[in-house]
Amino acid sequence: MAENKTKLNDGMYVIGGLFIAISVLMFASPNMPSMENDWVTLPLIGLPILGSLLLMGFASAVPAWRKESISETIKYASLGIALIVLIITTLMMTDILMNVHWANITFNQYMYEVEYNWINSIGAEWHVGIDGLSMPMVWLTALLVPITIITTWNEKKPWYYHPLLILMGGCLIGVFVSLDFFMFYVFWELTLVPMFFLILNWGGKERKYAAQKFFIYTFTASILMLLGIITLYLLQDPSTANASITGRTFDMHDMIQNAQEQVILGNIWLGAGVQKLLFVLFMAGFLVKLPVVPFHTWLPDAHVQAPTGGSMLLAGVMLKMGAYGMFRIPISMFPHALVEFQMALMIIGMISLFYGAWVCLGQTNLKRMVAYSSVSHMGIILLGIASLQPLGFAGAIFMMFAHGLISPMLFGVAGAFKHHYHTLEIGSMRGMAKHSPWLAGNMMFSWMASLGLPLLAGFVAEVAVLVALWFEFGWWVIIPGITLAITAAYYLWSMQRTIFEGGEKTEPPKSLGDEKPRDIALSENIGLISLAILIVIFGIFPFIFFEMISGYSSELIKQMLMDEIIGRW
Amino acid sequence: MAVDVLSVKGGLLLLPEMVLLTGILALFFITNLGDAKIRIPLTRLRIPALLGGNRFKWNSDPRIPGVVTIFTLIFAIGMLLQSLGDDCADIMQGFCSETTILTTTGNNPVHLMKLDSFSRLFELMFFLTLLLVSAASINRLQADSNPSNDDLEQLLDNRRQVDFYLLILISGLGMTIVAMSMNLFVLFVGLELASLPIYVMVAFHKETKAGSEAGVKYFITGAISSAVGLYGMSLLYLWSGSLQLTVLEAAWSAMETPEALPLFGISLLLVGFGFKISAVPFHFVAPDAYAGASSPVAALLATASKTLGFIGLMRILMIITLPETGDTAVWMFAFGILSVVTMTWGNLAALGSENPKRMLAYSSVAHAGYMMAALVAVAAWRSGSFAETNNNGIMAAELIVGAVIFHLFVLISFKIGAFMVISHLETESDVKDMSSLHGLAKREPIIATSMFVFMLALAGVPPLAGFMSKFLMVTGIVQVASADVLVNTNVDLVPTILGMHWTFFLAIAIFINSAISLYYYLRIGVLMFFEESSTRLPLPKVSTLRFVIFVCAIGTIFFGISSDWLVDSVTNAASALFTDS
Repeated sequence: MAENKTKLNDGMYVIGGLFIAISVLMFASPNMPSMENDWVTLPLIGLPILGSLLLMGFASAVPAWRKESISETIKYASLGIALIVLIITTLMMTDILMNVHWANITFNQYMYEVEYNWINSIGAEWHVGIDGLSMPMVWLTALLVPITIITTWNEKKPWYYHPLLILMGGCLIGVFVSLDFFMFYVFWELTLVPMFFLILNWGGKERKYAAQKFFIYTFTASILMLLGIITLYLLQDPSTANASITGRTFDMHDMIQNAQEQVILGNIWLGAGVQKLLFVLFMAGFLVKLPVVPFHTWLPDAHVQAPTGGSMLLAGVMLKMGAYGMFRIPISMFPHALVEFQMALMIIGMISLFYGAWVCLGQTNLKRMVAYSSVSHMGIILLGIASLQPLGFAGAIFMMFAHGLISPMLFGVAGAFKHHYHTLEIGSMRGMAKHSPWLAGNMMFSWMASLGLPLLAGFVAEVAVLVALWFEFGWWVIIPGITLAITAAYYLWSMQRTIFEGGEKTEPPKSLGDEKPRDIALSENIGLISLAILIVIFGIFPFIFFEMISGYSSELIKQMLMDEIIGRW
Repeated sequence: MAVDVLSVKGGLLLLPEMVLLTGILALFFITNLGDAKIRIPLTRLRIPALLGGNRFKWNSDPRIPGVVTIFTLIFAIGMLLQSLGDDCADIMQGFCSETTILTTTGNNPVHLMKLDSFSRLFELMFFLTLLLVSAASINRLQADSNPSNDDLEQLLDNRRQVDFYLLILISGLGMTIVAMSMNLFVLFVGLELASLPIYVMVAFHKETKAGSEAGVKYFITGAISSAVGLYGMSLLYLWSGSLQLTVLEAAWSAMETPEALPLFGISLLLVGFGFKISAVPFHFVAPDAYAGASSPVAALLATASKTLGFIGLMRILMIITLPETGDTAVWMFAFGILSVVTMTWGNLAALGSENPKRMLAYSSVAHAGYMMAALVAVAAWRSGSFAETNNNGIMAAELIVGAVIFHLFVLISFKIGAFMVISHLETESDVKDMSSLHGLAKREPIIATSMFVFMLALAGVPPLAGFMSKFLMVTGIVQVASADVLVNTNVDLVPTILGMHWTFFLAIAIFINSAISLYYYLRIGVLMFFEESSTRLPLPKVSTLRFVIFVCAIGTIFFGISSDWLVDSVTNAASALFTDS
């Protein structure tokens, strides 16, 4: 029998098949473009995705009893790939790779922009580019992946875990750089898959429920968005210039340009009703992802059950996909609808902000509290958008970035606490500062950063949004003000109960059993402290990104929204 | 171009079918070759008679029939591509010039079949399906290559191999005839030629009671529904005096007001096809048949058999009953409601089913609902309630029909793939409930990953093939439904939604159903990856089956991310369907 002679493992088949498939795609495709000057497609997206697939294929080819021996190799390989991506994105911010001046680019103009044909028949292209909105997000993703890998260096089954993290990173970068609706949607959905597996495989007790809830909530929301994409696609004028069978394309750049032209002419692109319909469809997808209050219930479950690395990336970058999508699509394309729905957004934002913080007060589970504080902070982003001020937009985008640094640290700390004390109950122990000084220090720092201490990154964003709110809505700003006080209250209260209280008579939690309380490991410390350093740096020197961001948001307001806003008075 | 069916040119055009016929004959002969000798009377001379006696060593292997079938099908695909090369402008685009095959007895030529992009694409689909199914069956049917001669059971098992593959090839012949038919009579003959072997194949799993029961149920229901369909055809003949689709079409558009006789005939005909695609009132037998049949046969039911029904529906609904202008297509509302009921019922029933084959059966019911909704949208466009702007109308109709064909095509990859995984599980023990899937990922990581890919494709998660087909369908529906709204741009939100044609809500129904279906597809993934199974041993190595699974997985991914030529081909096929012949 032939099948008995060849004992090749299936994993090798897959690796070989991948290589063959890729090379066939490369060479059989008649108009495969040259990839010169393309710093996005292969380095930022292709490298992590293909790299992780290869690593996982390699790992599955190794028999179970030898998997331990390759785990170090796979860990370092994943870290290496993640660091390469980080280095390239860091270089991208400067003008080393190409002559880029971030301050000079106008609205709807992109750096590192490349365009390839993908599925000609429906007009889908591989179109990537980076502007002042996506650069912070891309850099944040590229930064968080290696930090997450280091922080959770000792996770179980590393041969699948670490490749999944870089796969996640590649998909997320794909979302942030895509300028084509089809590609955007593909990556948007692709990000769900690694996260689904991260929660399911490395999660807590209720992980199945949490993972399915997470997947179904966000998938349902994004098919509403898909309906919006299809409607928008069909509403364009078909032209024979496009090779697709429908005569239309998915190109975001072109659509934003059309919208912009209509704004300059003083018209409403597509008409008021259609704009509102599309705005609602797109926002439905993004608001669930963000999440805001009526749709937020998947978030605490997903976070509590997710492994540390999973919730670091989930809170750090995946939530920002929602806010990023709002800026990229509804705000840039449907300014009329945005102004119409301004009050609705403001009220949803206020409710999210206040309700998230209020619920935090009653939480006893550390991760659940941090998750609700994320809901609360996402409310600030929505308020920044609702303010319709350049400062508010810039504050919202900077909040995306700052919260992307702070919340991974919060979850990293919570995960380390869970890892070393086997519990997440806030009141279960007293006086952690005595037993685990490094953990206590990190925890205190992250909570301070989250409650908006001056000179830390979160403060800059909060102040910008609150000032913009004051300009726009006047005394309504009291509600966020009160909420910030509540935020301070729940953090300080938990801090007192967990870290300090107890003095000399500290009591370790019962879940520890006979173990002695330990401090966190070096790898965790490196990850957390590097996040802390970055939080301080961006708190003191926010202009590193703030210029880029405020350039983007003032251009956005000037080009798209000015007429609408003036027309309202 | 018109060619007589009995001419040489006609024979050359039907080369793939000739190859199938040759394969059927070869199956007869090769497996019956033996060392029997005839003594010439009155002499001592014995000459070999070849047929009968003990078989030779080389053809006594029970896998011979399967191998012969596979080579026949590969050869037929080659011939198909070859004949594409003859009269097709562009092979990669799948664009073929039309050839009508007719018979000229009497004065009026009777159109029998038509060869064009549409029929060629469907022939390709049928051959591919049968190829995958027969490749997977080689190791699946019980057989013993070294039977001890006195064991009758083993001997019978080995003889049964031939029967199975004969049935496959004969049904393949019937399927190609359906794909080409332009005449209701030819359509019916092809349909029966394809269906009868399938009824037998469903019952082929005779070791279990469920198999026999499924076969009988499926046969009785199928026979009744084709009898009803035949009665519908006879009513149509009574009405128009012809069975040719072109004549019927002309008669239908000449009809001023809807007449009772043709309407009744058409609706009876729809019953027959409704059974084939397992649309809702006729879907009851589908889960039993799928669960009782062996998995490769169930895969055949879920793809090729369903495709047969959809070819019939497209021919009947898109050619005969779509008036160019004026009256709405009368079946539109009934069909629209049925489509929503079908997809919802299928999904809800799949949510509660504990047997993976029943679940796949119900999911296939749901998919039939999606495709029916798409066909309704074509009718909505043709019904004339829209301003046809920019000549978009024909584009929309082609897009929708093309999307349905696309879906039928890519179903080959992921539906068959999913059934093959279950078939692989059946090599170990019977698959009665979900517990067979438990912990599959730890035992067979690659098979489990492939199964997960198939499930995601069925749910329509990008960038897999299932997403592309759903996307194309919804795009078509929304394009049709929003045609009026395009014109008035200055209406508010609520009037915008209310201004949509009601088919827009079919698109929304598809979306809601996709969300529901996600739960049970994901559940399979959860069971495979995160449940503990009682054993950690890998499944028995069944090489061809595994190969088929890999091919299906690669196809699922490939047609998702690089579906350019397939989209072009299906669009050409759709426009060939709409071209008047």
